[in-house]
Amino acid sequence: MAAPLQSALLPEQIANAFGLSGVLGEIVGGLIGAFLIANIMLAMTAIAGPWAKRKITAAFTDRIAVNRIGPFGILVIIPDAVRLLSKELIVPEGVDRPSWDLAPIVLPASALLGFAVIPMGNLGPINFHLADPEAGLAIVFAFASIASVSLIMAGYSSNNKYSLMGGLRAVAQNIAYEIPLIITALSVVIFAGTLQMSEIVAAQTDALVTIAGISIPAWYAFVNPFAFVLFLVANMAEIGRNPFDIPEAPTEIVAGYQTEYSSVYFVLFYLGEFIHIFLGGAIMAVVFLGGAAAPISALSFVPGFVWFVIKMWAFFLFTQWCRSALPRVRIDQLIEIGWKGMLVLSFANLVLTAVIVGVLL
Amino acid sequence: MSWIAIGALALIGVGIPIAMMVVSALLRPSVPEQGKSATYESGEIPTGTARSFKFNIQYYMVALLFVVFDIETVLVFPWAVIYNDAVSTVGLTRALGPMLLFIGILVIGLVWAWRNGAVEWIKSPRATRRKTQKQDA
Repeated sequence: MAAPLQSALLPEQIANAFGLSGVLGEIVGGLIGAFLIANIMLAMTAIAGPWAKRKITAAFTDRIAVNRIGPFGILVIIPDAVRLLSKELIVPEGVDRPSWDLAPIVLPASALLGFAVIPMGNLGPINFHLADPEAGLAIVFAFASIASVSLIMAGYSSNNKYSLMGGLRAVAQNIAYEIPLIITALSVVIFAGTLQMSEIVAAQTDALVTIAGISIPAWYAFVNPFAFVLFLVANMAEIGRNPFDIPEAPTEIVAGYQTEYSSVYFVLFYLGEFIHIFLGGAIMAVVFLGGAAAPISALSFVPGFVWFVIKMWAFFLFTQWCRSALPRVRIDQLIEIGWKGMLVLSFANLVLTAVIVGVLL
Repeated sequence: MSWIAIGALALIGVGIPIAMMVVSALLRPSVPEQGKSATYESGEIPTGTARSFKFNIQYYMVALLFVVFDIETVLVFPWAVIYNDAVSTVGLTRALGPMLLFIGILVIGLVWAWRNGAVEWIKSPRATRRKTQKQDA
């Protein structure tokens, strides 16, 4: 329905700007577009990791944190990046070499790959959307779950008992919450009737109710708030943040699968985790929060890309809030919440949604 | 067409970590020392290898359960996509009924697994025994 309004995807726009067409234009546009998207995510991670995380945690615990270099200490990013990259790489005894080296590549790559199908909205004429396949939602979940492979690779190959524990916990957690996550997302697909990301966003543009002249959009978070809460919880577990951070629980198993990693390998794990948080936020924004749309139409003069970044950062802020506020669950509690609670609730939500949609529509 | 763009992002996604590794390899020092490369075990000298480490069988049980439910999720995908159209063309009973039956069978399976303790985190008898001994002492 919104097809004529949609502008061309990013690779096509770049190809047109260079006057290229056909497969060559597609390849050049794809590469430049992918480079652009990847660097946006790297920049966001660079702000989130060394600076925002410290500042947010400090604000929660009534401290100041970094404040020496630049305004609010934001330029601490540069010395931190240099410091982390120039650390010595210590290779522990008996590591399983190819696997140990590949794991830090797989984690950030899988998280970045998820952003291929995320519609990040417009900034002026530029449409930050790399690809829009019909199976978009299935693809993004598939890419995001490659991360488990990286974690078990790191855990097993490190030749460290804590690492192996962490890897096992990570996989047990990811598979326990993967099913509620996808089933809950599917309850939204019932409304939208498509897996294509741009169509899911387009299906949320209508007004749900209008109160005093301000119309509330039909975002699926408002249409189906129960699914939204379930998805939020499953998403937190999927990206391994508090209260579900047992794969790297520092007080129990040191740092889990990261224990034996130093230097740039550690940076890559850290990077991958942050991109994963943003990917989790991006999926939530697309599926439940209207993608790049403004919350009220009066604010739609702000570019969609800005809204999308705000929504991703809101999710990041939420994870940091939980980190400061919630205690960690135990492994037995985690499995019970996942298999006995979340799974049953997500199926109940799916059936209930199907019945309501079937009866009312 | 969109697969070219996804493939491009895959290339970039692998390329960025490798580029960072190369930059780091140029910058970082290498000072091999004895004892530095021992695996971390809270400061103690590591005992045995991690490869012979015994872990809870429950990790295997939940993984088995996952396989069943993951395949089931894949089968729900196409149903969820066409459900809205199907209700208007073939009616509610024929669109919803089979899926309810399908989910019902899986729920029975989950109840069975639940009752048999597959989703219960069972501690090893040895760990339980140790705990009781400690309490006795």
